[in-house]
This record gives sequence, structure tokens and C-alpha cells, in this order.
Amino acid sequence: MEIITIIIYLSVYMGLISTSFYILSFIAGGKKKKLLYTDEELPRVSVIIPAYNEEDSIEKTIKSIIASDYPDFEVIVVDDGSKDNTLEIARKFSSNRVRVFHKKNGGKGTALNFGIKRATGKIIFTMDADTTVDSKSMKNMVRFFKEDKVMCVTPAMVINNPKSIFQRIQYTEYALGLFLRKAFSSLRAIYIAPGAFSAYRKAFFDKYGGYDENNITEDLEMSLRIQYKGYHAENCPEAPAYTNAPRTFKELTMQRRRWYFGQVRNLWKYRKIISPKYGDLGAFVIPTAILSICFSVTITIFLFFKTLFEIKKNLLFLQSVNFDFPNTININFYIIERFLFLFLTKPVVLFTILFMVILGFYTYYASKKIGKPPLMILNWMLFFLLFAVLFGFWWIFSLFYTLTKKTIKWK
Amino acid sequence: MEPRRFASKKRYVAAIVIGTLAFLLVFGISYSLSYIELQRVSNLQTGIGYDIFKDKLEYSFFDEPVCGATPLEKVSQDLGFQGRIIDDLEKKLGKHYEGVLARKKFYTLVELEHLEFVNILNERCDGNVNTILFFYSNNESKLDDSEEAGRILGVVSARNENLMVYSFDVDLVSDIIEKLKKKYNITDSPVAVINEQVQVKLPANIQEIERHLR
Repeated sequence: MEIITIIIYLSVYMGLISTSFYILSFIAGGKKKKLLYTDEELPRVSVIIPAYNEEDSIEKTIKSIIASDYPDFEVIVVDDGSKDNTLEIARKFSSNRVRVFHKKNGGKGTALNFGIKRATGKIIFTMDADTTVDSKSMKNMVRFFKEDKVMCVTPAMVINNPKSIFQRIQYTEYALGLFLRKAFSSLRAIYIAPGAFSAYRKAFFDKYGGYDENNITEDLEMSLRIQYKGYHAENCPEAPAYTNAPRTFKELTMQRRRWYFGQVRNLWKYRKIISPKYGDLGAFVIPTAILSICFSVTITIFLFFKTLFEIKKNLLFLQSVNFDFPNTININFYIIERFLFLFLTKPVVLFTILFMVILGFYTYYASKKIGKPPLMILNWMLFFLLFAVLFGFWWIFSLFYTLTKKTIKWK
Repeated sequence: MEPRRFASKKRYVAAIVIGTLAFLLVFGISYSLSYIELQRVSNLQTGIGYDIFKDKLEYSFFDEPVCGATPLEKVSQDLGFQGRIIDDLEKKLGKHYEGVLARKKFYTLVELEHLEFVNILNERCDGNVNTILFFYSNNESKLDDSEEAGRILGVVSARNENLMVYSFDVDLVSDIIEKLKKKYNITDSPVAVINEQVQVKLPANIQEIERHLR
């Protein structure tokens, strides 16, 4: 058996075990009763919106948050030296509830820390200026802070109005994340909180400091820091937050390069987390995530070279038959039957079908929580056809950047 | 920081059991489908073998005219199809799987029966049916060359109506194969023996084959 075949089957085997484990954890998490704040106990909240050149979306974002049904909250908009009309638009909303600040451009981390210093709430929400939320999202999320060890609560992130192929792929990816985050929360193993909309206990910032201003993925650094210090994060699937996703391949690749580059750096920074001392997170969740990345990178590199080799081989073959396409293709019943038999009896194809069914289950769960989007089946198919290859490609690209010590700036 | 507790160690055991069962189940399904395919090829072979024997008996035993319209294309496709199924099954079930080896041996006999029939057609009916005996190997060192040569012969077959291609695995442990190798002086593979006279080793393009056809 070839080494690559062994690697593929190992990755499938690991995938089946981890999927079974997460489904079991998801079911167990659903049965567990959570300690939640009642309406009367809800503490004051500060929502911080850092903004840099967001004139197209800031109005919608502020409107969505002030329409929230939360009883006691303030909004702090921090304009991070925008060159467009972001500040002017935000100032239209200035009131007792909405405070707007302007500072010199310094990056998202500096804007968030600026807002945290001025926040009066016990709970801090960080919100991107291109994100909107449901009116009930804040209330549903804050309830989880009744448990002392909870330092962060994540929402159900949803891609807003997906149109391009890449946005549709991301829609399903986020839907999948919804299921996984729920499973991770039952293991107390959420180690990525979405930067677009998440809630934190202010006491954590007071004790351990604010965001790392030099970190390219400051949100990931914060979630890992919470875990590292012995606290944990919760997930609230009943709190949808809608964010704009990169539309083109280039935009998406740049975003992923930043994310994965940040992931490598931050996981290295908190590498001590990979230990049974950190329970399921350190012994299973992070190690399997790292292993799946290694498998994905190896298989993508193999597939790339195999595809090149096959193209060369087929070109040489076509040359040997004088490019006689009609007689080369010669599709008939026998050929189709043979192809279907060979294809459908390959274990890898059967495993793919199995994973498609599982993903279908995840998507069904997501549609129950966030509603059914138009063309859900199309999103699901695009995800299945392209995501694995894109995932491997982005990781190769990001690892190359990490290894060559190139730096990435947040724009 | 005090060490964290695992949510449930039993859950890990359950996940390993479920994951392993699912993993084995998929291989079991794949193997079962291949086995069903083997049963199907057995029935197909019996059918085509019956037709060929019947045609031969009709003229040799009952003296019926042999020079009628015997559609070669259908037989050619059927034989090619069977050959492919057997090759696929060999790859899936392994080179030493007895059921596949038995089918392969029977397939060799069916092919030779048909070759003999075509030779009689050519002789008695002034036919111009070309024959190619294709000796290939599924051994790792020869597999790529054999597959390439097989693909070239597939195109040659599609381009030439009056052509029958018969494939023989040189590694098959069978008296018939040994006798064939001896008869056509086959020492290497892949080799195409055109009209039982010309040998083309490692055919690299269609011209190398077609220039020897009638």
C-alpha cells in the first residue's frame, strides 16, 4: 500500500473518531442544564465597535445593536482614524446610550483597548463595524455569564446574504462551526471566539490586561488566553450575528492567510495548552485540529502533483493517438457502467458520502437555529466540492508565510 | 491552575468504537459490492461463452452456413467489458483472489474460442477481420506501460470496425497462457501480436499498430 493511501485512510479514521466524539459531546451538552441569569439579574453591558473606513456598513451596525432588547447597555464606537465618513455617520447616533470616540489609527487591538478603558459595563461585547445582530442575541448570550468561570460567550455567526461561490462556501463552513462550537462548549474547549461579535467578562480584562495590540488575530489570542488562565468560553446558538464575508477568492485567501498565520503564532505562544492538564481541549480538541491540518496539507500537496502528472500523462496519450478525441472518449454504456462501479465502490468515495450525510445533519441543525437560507443545497454542495482543497491550499500558503517569517498587517 | 477534568472518558471509548465500526463497515460495503460484481461477471461470462459455443456448433456440428451476419462489434464490446470488470475486480479483491483468478482463466478460454471462430470466418468467408492478441501484465513495474498500451489499443479498436482485440495476462498461472506465450514467443509485456504474425512491443502510438492492419 502506498504511503499516501495510508495517510488518507488515517485521516479518515481520525475524522470518524473525532466526528463521533463531537456528536456524542453535542448530545451530552444538550442534556446538561446550564446556570443562567434571569432577566432581573442581567448586568450592565458595553458594546465596543472599533471602526476603520466603514462608512458603508457602520450605520446598519449601530442601528442593529441599539434595537437590541437588552435592558441596560451602552455602545462605544471607536473610530480608528478612518479616512472616510465613518466618524460623521457614527456621530449622528451620539446619545446617552451611544458614545463615539475618535483616535489616531493604530489597529483593531488598540481601538478595542481604547473602548474597554472607557466601558462601564460588567460585560464587554466586541463587535465589528460590518456586523449586525438579532435583537435578542445580547440577552441570550449574557445569561451564560452567571457561571463564574465563564469569561467569554460566542454567538451563532452567520454569513450575511451569501451571493458569490466563496460566500456560499463560507456560509456552510460557518453553519458547520455552529455545531462544532456547541460540541466544544460541552467540553469547555472553545478556543476561537469570533472577532465579529463576542462577549467577555470585563473582570478578565482588568485582571489579565486587554487585547495584544501587536497580534494579527487578537481575538484568537484572547480566547486562548482565557483557556490558558483556566477559564472557559460558552456558546449561545440562539444568538445570531450576521457578518459580511469576503466575496472573491483573493479577498478570502488574504483573510485566511491572516487567520491561519495568527493561529500558528498564537498556538505556539500558548503551546503549553496542548497537555492533558487542560482536559479535553489540550488532550484531544487542539491535537486533532493540528493533525487534521497536517493531513490536509500533505494530501493537498500530493493531489496537486498527481493532477500535474495526470495532465502530462493524458497529453502524451492524446499525442500518441493523434488527438483523435471522438474515438478516445468513445462514451458508451460499458464505459459509464465501469466508471460508476469503480467510483462508487471506492472506500474513499463511500467515506465521502458518509461525511456528506454527517455534514447534512450539521447543516440541518444550523438551519433550525439560524433559519434556512435560499439555495441551501447549493451552498452545501459547493462546500463539499471545494472546501477541502481550499483549506489545504490556504494552510500551505499560510505556513509558507509563517516559515519565511513574513509579516501580515491588519487592514 | 488546577488540572481540568475530562468531560467523560467513557465518551472517548464510545467514539473509538463507533469510529472503528464505521471505518470497517465502509470497507465491508466496498468488498461486498465487489463480490456482487464478481457474481454478475460470472453470469455474463456464461452468457457470452454460450453464444460463442453455440455459433461454433451451428456450423461445425449442424453444418449451418458460417458466413452470415455475425456482428463483431457487440462481441468485441462484451469481451472488452468483461476484461475490464475482471481487471477492476483484480485490483479491488487482490491478485490472488481465487474467484477472480477462475474468472480470468475462463475469460481466456472464451477469448480463444472466439479467436478461433474469427479465424474460420476469415478463412471461409474471405473475411478481413483483424485480430490483436494483447499480452499485458498487472505487475507494478509493468502496470503503467500495460495500461497505456491498453488505452492505445482501445482507441485503435474504436477506429477500426473489423478488429478484435483479445487481452491476456502474462502473469496468470495457467497452462493455456504458458502455451500462448510459447506459441507467440512472448518474453516481455506489454506486447501486441497483430494478426498472429507481427509483434509490436510496448506500442507507443496508433500508427505502430494500424500500419500492420489489413
